[in-house]
Amino acid sequence: MPNRPGHASPVPAAVEGAGTGAWEPRFLVPVDGRLASAGLIRETARMAAAQGVVWLAVYLDASQRTLYTRQELSRLGANLCLAEELGADLVCFQPTERPPGRELLALAKAHRVTDLVLDSAGRSRWLGQPKGAHPQPLNPRDLGLAIQMVNPLPEHSDPRLKAWPEAMDWGHLGLALFIVLLATGVGFVVYHYLGLADVIMLYMLCITVAATQFGRWTTFIASVAAILTLDFCFIEPRYTFVVTDFQHIGTFGLMFGVGWVILGLAERIRSQTSLAQERERHSRALFRLGQVLAEGGSPEAIQHRVDEYLRRELEVPLAVLLCTPKGDLADGNGPDAPFTPADLALAQQALKQGAPVGQGTETSPQSRWFMLPLAGLERTVGVLAVQPRPEAVSLPPDRMSLLVPLASQVSLALERASLAEERTQARIRAEHAQLRATLLSSLSHDLKTPLGSITGAITTLLDPGPNTAPGDQKVLLNAIHHESRRLLRMVNNLLDITKLESGQVQVKKDWVAVEEIVEAAISHMEEQMGSRPLSVDLPEQWVHVDPVLLDQALVNLLDNALKFSPPGSAIRIRGAVRDGAFRLQVEDEGPGIPPGEEELIFEKLYRGTGGALAPGAGLGLAICRAIAEAHGGTVTAGNQPGGGARLTISLPLENGDPGSVLSQLNPDLTSDLPGAAHES
Amino acid sequence: MNPDHPLILVIEDDPYLRQYLSTTLRSHGYGVEEATTWEEGRAKAHKLTPDVLLLDLGLPDGDGLSLARDLRATSRVPIIVVSARGREEDKVLALDMGVDDYVTKPFGSSELLARIRVALRHSAEVSGPPPAVVELGGLRMDFASREVTLDKKPVRLTKNEFDLLAVLVRHAGQVVTNGHLLQEVWGDATGAHPAYVRVYMRSLRKKLEPDPTRPRFLLTELGIGYRLKPDPDA
Repeated sequence: MPNRPGHASPVPAAVEGAGTGAWEPRFLVPVDGRLASAGLIRETARMAAAQGVVWLAVYLDASQRTLYTRQELSRLGANLCLAEELGADLVCFQPTERPPGRELLALAKAHRVTDLVLDSAGRSRWLGQPKGAHPQPLNPRDLGLAIQMVNPLPEHSDPRLKAWPEAMDWGHLGLALFIVLLATGVGFVVYHYLGLADVIMLYMLCITVAATQFGRWTTFIASVAAILTLDFCFIEPRYTFVVTDFQHIGTFGLMFGVGWVILGLAERIRSQTSLAQERERHSRALFRLGQVLAEGGSPEAIQHRVDEYLRRELEVPLAVLLCTPKGDLADGNGPDAPFTPADLALAQQALKQGAPVGQGTETSPQSRWFMLPLAGLERTVGVLAVQPRPEAVSLPPDRMSLLVPLASQVSLALERASLAEERTQARIRAEHAQLRATLLSSLSHDLKTPLGSITGAITTLLDPGPNTAPGDQKVLLNAIHHESRRLLRMVNNLLDITKLESGQVQVKKDWVAVEEIVEAAISHMEEQMGSRPLSVDLPEQWVHVDPVLLDQALVNLLDNALKFSPPGSAIRIRGAVRDGAFRLQVEDEGPGIPPGEEELIFEKLYRGTGGALAPGAGLGLAICRAIAEAHGGTVTAGNQPGGGARLTISLPLENGDPGSVLSQLNPDLTSDLPGAAHES
Repeated sequence: MNPDHPLILVIEDDPYLRQYLSTTLRSHGYGVEEATTWEEGRAKAHKLTPDVLLLDLGLPDGDGLSLARDLRATSRVPIIVVSARGREEDKVLALDMGVDDYVTKPFGSSELLARIRVALRHSAEVSGPPPAVVELGGLRMDFASREVTLDKKPVRLTKNEFDLLAVLVRHAGQVVTNGHLLQEVWGDATGAHPAYVRVYMRSLRKKLEPDPTRPRFLLTELGIGYRLKPDPDA
């Protein structure tokens, strides 16, 4: 564990002329991509918290990717995220020297820092001796800064900052050398007409171009090539590398120096530009995410859109994992981001710890994934899993600066959505509870009534009284028969509505002739219809429906018509094609539907207010509606002009019919199709 | 087979339903044997060689469908399946597997007895040569001359219509699945499509049924197939 040798007083002995607030300690911890850096950060946070002071975490601008190795880049991200979470102010700076000691101290001074927190490796790394620049080792105490040395955690690796980390771009090098060659060609002409001074200017131009456009290696090699070519081709004695005039050595040095200065300037501009671009990208990303989230919807819909958007935006494998109400992670994950069980366990851990885990953090740093918990206002709603890749430009190594604001927006949106969904669920549950209660009370009445008649009739039959008339037995048996039918209908309706509502019913569509459905429905209702006059008026029509379901719907409409019209009155079934839909209507000669109840009658358990309560549980029409809707159709109720109710099932017509489809399929097999051949 | 008292094996696990079936069947002059499980049903079917088998699909120790398949492998005994409502696929599966007919719970005894009569008649016919002329109510079908008359008036049927009607007439009273009809009429013709049956049934109905929604002959079993009334005009 870290300990501090100079523990007695963290307040520095001398802090001169620092203005107001100068006596308040202020810590600075340089953050880099070493594992040990995290320990340093924690220790600094601990010290700062103990004294209740502000602390800064300084890191080298990571947009200059060349500063870090890949591994360091990802660790740097994690370290910065840790520092930010522990309350540090992050400060990014772009030093021109390596190691950046002097500049670091200047920065510390500018931020009125009193203590630098370092470990021994970090000390040499950050405050080490720049090569040849300063004869004396840097002493922060000269600047009134105290150094808090902290024992580093055992380090697994300590890759050095690379002096020449930039990779060689062979294309650029070729181009640079070609420019030098071109300059040499032009140089001969210039030399002939103008003189050596202008040739030197020409080569200077080459070096400037290389320095502004290409990297360090290229600039270096191009400079050397330019100087050598100049020497060989134009400096007396020509066509040798011998230099006789000492003045020319100075010229060469000057050329090299100018190249180097320009390179430095260009690099700084480049890095600033890229930083500015990156910041702009961040704000744009946030803005667009805001738009994506503004669409709202269910948590799953948001998850899907955010997934898609962030993956496109950050160009890395990424997934938003949602939390179930129980606090587990839902299984669903993006198709592009398959998770192994270990990954999911890691995500679960992020959820539990409420802190980032995975790549670059202290928990499972070897994982491919970096998992950031999505913390809303009241709870953690999920985990954002990202697979950082050094080559992915859109996700900066100090990824927390981008991911944290993105994640917090997503978290809030998800939290809002899941709260809204919970409210809806609660409402549905309440409605279901209400429905169950109504259903129960209605069932206990509706099921017991026929059972009562049946039991009563049977006990009488088993033990007939002395005055039983000969015809009574038949009457009782008929009652039993009738009541069991009624009971069966109710049980069937109950089963149907349960199945339809729970989505267990699959609509198995088939081409059916309408008359077949009507025929089946009539035969199913034969017994109840008795001697009721029934007229049927159907067009010749094929419909693409689930015949069994539609039969059920029609049976329920007929049953409804029978119940709500006087005995012996007529019932009509009509079919018609209108407005691209097939309409099947059942009309009766009853009192009709009371105004205002045209919609209500399709509600479950609704039995109408007009007149006496009709028998049945009030499910038939609800079943009709469910079936019609399962076919993409509707069922409506109204009254006929002359009185009596008219219930209409309207089903959208689909293109084609089996007849025309078949004759296209295989004319041989349908050669005698009645539509084609005219027969009587 | 005793022609006066055909033997019916009832394979049904519910005691009350079994009791009702036995009582009803005995009172109509049938001999009745009972089995309550898959194993017992199989054993008794082999040992007793019943004339008709009533089979419940939901047996406690096995699927009734598999028992039917097992029995069909060795015997032509008519099997009538007793099934719950709303399982059209099960019924089609059973029928296509060789089961002769089905009744849907709850069913009345008249319906059950009609099915049994039809099954017995068909199993008797199977043993003899197919009749050349069949008369069902007002419908007369001459298979040799391929002539059909309805109430003594000739009806002109196309080849496919005639074949379709012929299948239904040979199975009069029994349900014939769409798949069975397709196979019988169009055979393995390439491109044979289930909708053929529907299309030709409609044209057949137009020629035989003045009011197709109150049919005299051709009954529709939605989702399953068609059935010719066993006793039209009765």
